[in-house]
Amino acid sequence: MSGNGWTPGACAIAGLGTTDFSRNSGRSDLSLATQAVLAALADAGLEASAVDGVVRCDMDLVRHTDLAEALGIRQLSYWGECGPGGVAPCAMVGQAVGAILSGQASTVVVFRSLNGRSGRRYGGASAAQSQQLVGGNVSYDEFFLPHGLLTPGQMFALMARRHMIEYGSTPEQLGSIAVACRERALANPAAQMYGRPLTMADYLDARMIASPLRLFDFCLETDGAAAVVVTSTERARDCRNGAVRIHAVAQASVPGTQPGMMFPALMRDSITSLSSRAVAELLWSRAGLGPADVDVAQLYDCFTITLLLQLEDYGFAKRGEGGAFAADGGIGLDGQLPCNTSGGHLSEGYIHGMNHIVEGVRQIRGTSTGQVRGAEVSLVTAAPPPASSALILTADR
Amino acid sequence: MSTAQRLIPVTQDPDTGGFFAAAAEGQVALRYCTDCGALLHLPRAYCYQCGGWNSGYRSVSPRAFVYSWTVVEHQIHPAYPVPYTVALVELADEPTARLVGFLPGRPHLYAGQELRAWFERLDDGTTLVQWRPAGAEGDQA
Repeated sequence: MSGNGWTPGACAIAGLGTTDFSRNSGRSDLSLATQAVLAALADAGLEASAVDGVVRCDMDLVRHTDLAEALGIRQLSYWGECGPGGVAPCAMVGQAVGAILSGQASTVVVFRSLNGRSGRRYGGASAAQSQQLVGGNVSYDEFFLPHGLLTPGQMFALMARRHMIEYGSTPEQLGSIAVACRERALANPAAQMYGRPLTMADYLDARMIASPLRLFDFCLETDGAAAVVVTSTERARDCRNGAVRIHAVAQASVPGTQPGMMFPALMRDSITSLSSRAVAELLWSRAGLGPADVDVAQLYDCFTITLLLQLEDYGFAKRGEGGAFAADGGIGLDGQLPCNTSGGHLSEGYIHGMNHIVEGVRQIRGTSTGQVRGAEVSLVTAAPPPASSALILTADR
Repeated sequence: MSTAQRLIPVTQDPDTGGFFAAAAEGQVALRYCTDCGALLHLPRAYCYQCGGWNSGYRSVSPRAFVYSWTVVEHQIHPAYPVPYTVALVELADEPTARLVGFLPGRPHLYAGQELRAWFERLDDGTTLVQWRPAGAEGDQA
């Protein structure tokens, strides 16, 4: 396997910050990014002048130079970009680590900012809203959009149906994921679904969006931003809240990955095991750890089925048994693998994977509203198609 | 369909255009490497199996089997009124090659069900390969 020259824990997360999460922020994407980064710097006890690197997501409207200018950063010595979209966050942290270990930067801000509800909504049809001619230019959309396959939710619906065909998974199993995430959000005042309980009956009674996926299988389009500060572990130890070690980070694709950003993943040999299985193999190898060592996980949950598939790809459940694992309480706070402890994308908010990293750090610090007692190994994953990324955070003791 | 304008595929892309040219002639055609015979799907020019740059489209059987499907109940685009169904199919001749098709309403589908291709001509003359249960009414070319 390639990419094994990895030194665990050389870098750390020294600061975290978020904005409020809402349906209408009333602020620009740039203001949201600035606010989240200022919060992360304050959390670390650092001034903006300490920042010399920025890593952004390719779908962010805010460029590295926009952020640097907004913060009054005198000079950047490094910037980077990862994607597409939700694939990025853990890989963004990996890129920050690369910049630091290669001496190109010492303090790198990693951020994601979006008016995902009041501005550009990712739940709608991508190019299809504004143009009639679709596809070409390595998008491969010409094979999908004209047939009415328009959204990520519809693509994951095809994956969910296939999982039901292959393994007999049930709507109730998907529902158990929605309900578990909602239970975590009920303890998190920052969550969009705080104060709004969800029962299995509510889940099953909700309207079908794209069968077999119902309303609460979908995450929450959200306005907001989240950011972390990455630096060497040695430097992070001197920061206000200390270091949360980046024990391992990995990004990986699978053979036969297919071109295009999203829909062509449906053309792969399997649509019930995703690129996350390749990430898992590399991540466990770099970390010298396995699924049994993980205390808490934030699994990318644009949809319930996405979380279910990753339970299998990361080896927490056998293939075909992810649904049963969740339905039997495996992802609950007292379960074998407490998941998405802030409520996740399904019930806290969809900051495109970045709020999962923030929550993963909180678990190691012991400051989560859904705290897993004594958590020392915290897994965070990013979106699976077309390729994916993940990281493991550990306590600095 | 509704009166709103359907989404039209780009048919002149150098990698994928041959698929739509074949569809316009009532054929389901896939791109193959002419040096080693490898299937190049989704279509692209270079064959990494043999290093060849020579490829072309070859017609395959217009039969396929249901691999997965979703019934879309939440309206996204005015030209695609709900309910409708998107089927993901695997081709009878090339089980590793999949395509998607549009079916109006909520047709009864099941995994492995045989579908047949039909060729839908859009207003601008572009032809889409669509799929429906074998023996369904209104076969046309």
